[in-house]
Amino acid sequence: MSNLDDMKSLWHTVETDKLPSSTEMLKLIRKFRRHKLRSKWLIIVSCFLLSCLVVSALLIVHFKMITTYAGGTLVVIANLLLAVTNIKSLKRFYHLDDHDNLKFLEFIAKTRENQLHYYQRTMVIIISLSGGGWILYMYELLYHYPVWCIIIYFIMTVYLGIMWFIVRPRAFKKDQEKLNATRENAESILNQLK
Amino acid sequence: MIKFEELYSRYSPQVFRVCLGYTNNKDHAQDLVQETFIAVWNGLSGFRNESQIGTWIFRIATNHCLRAAGKSKRMPFAEMPLDLSAPIEESLEEKVSILYRCIGELEESERIIISLELEGLPQAEIANVVGLSNGNVRVKVHRIKDKLAIKLKAYEQFR
Repeated sequence: MSNLDDMKSLWHTVETDKLPSSTEMLKLIRKFRRHKLRSKWLIIVSCFLLSCLVVSALLIVHFKMITTYAGGTLVVIANLLLAVTNIKSLKRFYHLDDHDNLKFLEFIAKTRENQLHYYQRTMVIIISLSGGGWILYMYELLYHYPVWCIIIYFIMTVYLGIMWFIVRPRAFKKDQEKLNATRENAESILNQLK
Repeated sequence: MIKFEELYSRYSPQVFRVCLGYTNNKDHAQDLVQETFIAVWNGLSGFRNESQIGTWIFRIATNHCLRAAGKSKRMPFAEMPLDLSAPIEESLEEKVSILYRCIGELEESERIIISLELEGLPQAEIANVVGLSNGNVRVKVHRIKDKLAIKLKAYEQFR
């Protein structure tokens, strides 16, 4: 069996009749297409909708305090930043299938690096802008109701504290190992090809 | 306009064998075939004929294999039979299983290159799929073939 032709003839004897028919495959495709990127699209649409809502509120209602406008602007910037990050990532995914293996592996290694950068830097900026923005934005509304003000600020602080000190580090720790493993694997296969 | 059904009927067995060469696991290979053709369906309208359609499909398939690299484990050697001196007649199924097992023990990039070679793709097309030069692919195919032959011989010796 050490001869290439023998190997080729054996290779082609593998049964392939258990593969789904083209009709079954089309059914599967309709069920699963775009499934993987759906969450990214949802984030992008939500970010734009929320930004539009905040901008409309700032334009329609005549607020008296500068904190409301400053807060609104910060929230919009945070949302746009999150949307742009996800659009960039989507764009890369849509062009991924045109690449050869070598470029694909470089892309994977680069994406994993970007994801780590996102956790370490972009996410910190987005949460800071968004948290600060909401605190400023709500201030005028709550200024006239001190009891509600204390309660809502307390809830917001607890929520941001949990997100910042518990959820974020846990998510990062969980993903970091996975991302590092995928990056190392991609780099190892890249080295095999070089 | 290329019909998806035609592409699927023509390329799915080939893609399946390449994925099986990479994973040495039929269920996993079938999942990869599905993922590949979902991507083909999604990208078909934007396919620009810059490469042959077959090259494009094999690129998608092998990229999906590489993405799933973490999940696929190399298959271990089968346990040796107790009586080594007893002559064993290998059925066709066993021979195929040994071939795929030996391919499964190669490095990831080697598995892809030899699978495409065994599938009968011209080396220029393999170079296009993998992203290496023609010369580089020719050298690699030669080395992998030798490596695989040694593995197969060793396997036959221990049976």
